[in-house]
Amino acid sequence: MRFSLSRSMIIARREYLTTVRRKAFVFSLLLTPAILFFSTFVSGKLASDDNKAHQRQSRIVALVDSSGQFTQAAPEYSWQATAESSAPPGAVSLHGRTTEPEGKKVTVMATVRPFKSQQEALDSLEAGTVNLVLVVAQDFMNSGAVRRYEHDTRVFTSGADDGPTRAWLTRSLLAGRADSSRIERTVSLRKSLDLYVPARAGGYQLKDDQRELVAFFLPFIIGFLISMSIVTGGQYLLQGVAEEKETRILESLLTTVTPDELMVGKLLGLGSAGLTMVGIWILFGLGAGGSMLALMKIDMPGMLIGIGLVYFLLGYLFYGSLMTGIGAITNNLREAQQFSVIFTMMNFFPFYVLVKILNSPNSALAIGMSMFPPTAAPTMMMRLCASSLTGAVIPLWQVGASIGLLALTAFAVLKLSSKIFRLGLLLYGKTPNLPEILAILRQS
Amino acid sequence: MLEVRNVRKVYDGRAVVNDVSFDVQSGEIFALLGPNGAGKTTLIRMITDILKPDGGSITLDGKPLSGPDRPRISYLPEERGLYRKVPVLDALAYFGELKDLSPRAARAAAVVLLEEFELAAWAKKQVQALSKGMQQKLQLCTALIGEPRLLILDEPFSGLDPLNVQILEDVLKRRRAAGTTVLLSTHQMNKVEQQCDRALMINRGHMVLYGKVGDIRRQHGEHAFLVEGGAVPPGLAGVRASEVMNGGVKLTLERSAEPAAVLRALLDRGVPVSGFTPLVPPLEDIFVHVVVSGAGLDQGRSGPPTLDQQMVGGAR
Repeated sequence: MRFSLSRSMIIARREYLTTVRRKAFVFSLLLTPAILFFSTFVSGKLASDDNKAHQRQSRIVALVDSSGQFTQAAPEYSWQATAESSAPPGAVSLHGRTTEPEGKKVTVMATVRPFKSQQEALDSLEAGTVNLVLVVAQDFMNSGAVRRYEHDTRVFTSGADDGPTRAWLTRSLLAGRADSSRIERTVSLRKSLDLYVPARAGGYQLKDDQRELVAFFLPFIIGFLISMSIVTGGQYLLQGVAEEKETRILESLLTTVTPDELMVGKLLGLGSAGLTMVGIWILFGLGAGGSMLALMKIDMPGMLIGIGLVYFLLGYLFYGSLMTGIGAITNNLREAQQFSVIFTMMNFFPFYVLVKILNSPNSALAIGMSMFPPTAAPTMMMRLCASSLTGAVIPLWQVGASIGLLALTAFAVLKLSSKIFRLGLLLYGKTPNLPEILAILRQS
Repeated sequence: MLEVRNVRKVYDGRAVVNDVSFDVQSGEIFALLGPNGAGKTTLIRMITDILKPDGGSITLDGKPLSGPDRPRISYLPEERGLYRKVPVLDALAYFGELKDLSPRAARAAAVVLLEEFELAAWAKKQVQALSKGMQQKLQLCTALIGEPRLLILDEPFSGLDPLNVQILEDVLKRRRAAGTTVLLSTHQMNKVEQQCDRALMINRGHMVLYGKVGDIRRQHGEHAFLVEGGAVPPGLAGVRASEVMNGGVKLTLERSAEPAAVLRALLDRGVPVSGFTPLVPPLEDIFVHVVVSGAGLDQGRSGPPTLDQQMVGGAR
C-alpha cells in the first residue's frame, strides 16, 4: 500500500489528543516542575530561613580556655543578621520587641562566660543556661584546635555560622598586640580574595560566582530538557505500542493502515505530546527565570536554540524508533519497560559526568560522548552551552559530525524498527530473543 | 473479485500456507474453514496485506493488493481489541477517518452503524462501559464502517447471544444485497451451511476442500436417500442397503446407481412415495472426517482441487 501522510496525520492527531488529555500527562506537566521548584527554591528558602533565624539568636557562650590565650578577651561580641519581620519599620511585635523589615540588618549580641572545666560548660549547655560551648585546646598556639559544642539539628551547618565567633577569637588573640585597624584588616582577610580571570573580550574580569552558577545550571537544564523531551516522547511511544499490542487493537488497525503509516503517525503524535510538555515547562521557566538571565546579561544565541531543535528531532527519531521496535516485540508494557530501561539510562548518562563535560568541554570523554548517538544530543548541548558561557571553543566540524552520525543512526534505527514493528506486532506469546529478532529482520 | 493464486508462506522452513489458490466472487459469502493452526490467519493476513506471501499472487479486481488504488478491505480479527477509554462514537469514527472518510462523514457513518447494531444509546459512553457482547458488536462496526468491498470476518459470531447473532446475520444479508463480498472464517459449521455460498477448507496449510457448500456436502454424502410414504420392498436394483430412520427408510445406493431409476422402480412396485430426499452429511461431520483422516494433504497439487480430486482423498 502506498504511504499516506494524511492517514499518519489522523493517527498523530488521535495519539496527541489522547495523550495530552490523560490525567497522567496533566499530573506530569504540573507535578514535575512543582517538585523541581519545591526541591530547589522552597526547600532552599526554608533552609535559608532556618539559618537566618539561627543567626538572629543572641547567645551565651561558655568559654573553656585551656591555653590561657583568651583570658583578656572581650566579654561580648556582636554581628549583623538579617531582620525577621516584614512588618513596617518600627512596628511592635506581640512580644513587645521592635521589629525591622525584611532585608534590614539587626545587631545580635553574644555574651562570653568563662568556665573552668569542659564538663561544667557542657552541663550548662545541657541545662540550657548557655547556648554554645567553646573549648580552646591547651596546645592551641601549636595546633589551633578549638572545639564547638552546640545543640544544632540543622544539616550541612558544621562550618556555617562560626564567622562571628572566629572573628572574636582573632580579635581576642591579637588584642594588645596590634593596633585596631590591623586587627580588623586581619579579620577581613579571612574572606576570599577577589579573583580576576581572562575575559573573552580581552583583559581580565572579576570571576562571578553567581554567573558561574548559572553557567553550570543552564547547560544542565537545557541538556536535561532535551533528554526529558526525547525520553518522554519515547516512553509515550513505548507505552502506546505496548498497550495497543497487549489489547490487540493493532491487527484491526493494520488492515486499514500500513505499519509505516501507523509508526510515523505515532512518532509524530507522541513526539509532539512530549514536546508540548517540555515546551510548556520552558515557557514557564522563561517566565520565571528569563528576567534573571537578562539581568545577568546571559543570552542564548539563536544558533544554539536552532541546534537544540535539530538535536531534539534527531534524538527523538532515534530514541522513539528504538522504543517503537521494543514495544512491538514485547508482549506487554512491563516487559517493554524492562527492555527500554538501559536505553533510557544511556540518554541520561551525560548528567553523571556533567561536571567533567562543563569543566573540559573538549576532553576526550566529552567529544566521544557527543559523537556516540545515544548520548550525543544532551552531551553536545551541554558542551555548546558551556562554550557560550565560558568561552571554550567547540570546533564546528565536531557539531556537524555529531549531528551527521546521529542522523545516520536515527535513520538506520527507524528502518530497522519499521521492519521489526511490521512483523513484531503480530507476534504474541514468547518475547523473541536476539537470534529470533534477527530472523524477523531477515523475514522482512 | 478476489483471486488467490498459488500463495505460499514459509516460517522457519515450514510452509504454513502451501500453494493455496481460490477465488471469491463479488457479492458472495465465502467460508474459510480449517482447524486451529491450519494457516487461516496467515492466509487472511496475506489477503489483508499485513503479511507478504513468499510465493504466488493475490489480486482484487485484477489489481495487486499493494497497488496505489488499494480497494477497500475490512478485517475483523479473531483477537479483538478496542480503545477502552474513549467514547463509543469517537472510537468508531476514528476507524472511519482511517478509511478516508472526512471527520464529518465518519461520525455520520458511525451514528448509522450504531443504530443498526442497537448501540446508539451508548454512543457517548466509554468503550470500557460496554458489555463483552456490545464490544463485540462495536468491533464489527469498526470493520463495517467505510462501506468495504471485501469484508473479512474471523469468528464474528463468538461472544454474541442468539439475538445479537440474528442482528449480525441480518446485517450480513443487507450488506450482501448491497454488493459487499464477505469472507467468513468460522468454526460454526451450521452458520456456514446457512449463510455461505462456497467454502474453502485448509488443513496444515494445504487446500483440502473447495467448492459450493451444497456440492461439498453432497459429494461427501453416502449417495443415500430418505424415502417417505411407505415400506420399501427388498431386492431393488441399485440399492446397496436400507434401514428405517426418521419416519422413513434410508436407502444407500450403489455408486453407479441413478437416483431417478431407483425412484421409478419404487413407484413401479406400487410404493406410495411422498418424499425422496437426498441425505447429505452436516458440514461439521465432513470437517471432522477430513481433519482426522488427513485427507487431501498428500496430493502435491498446485491448483485448486476439483471435487473429484477431493473425493479421491476424501470420505471414500
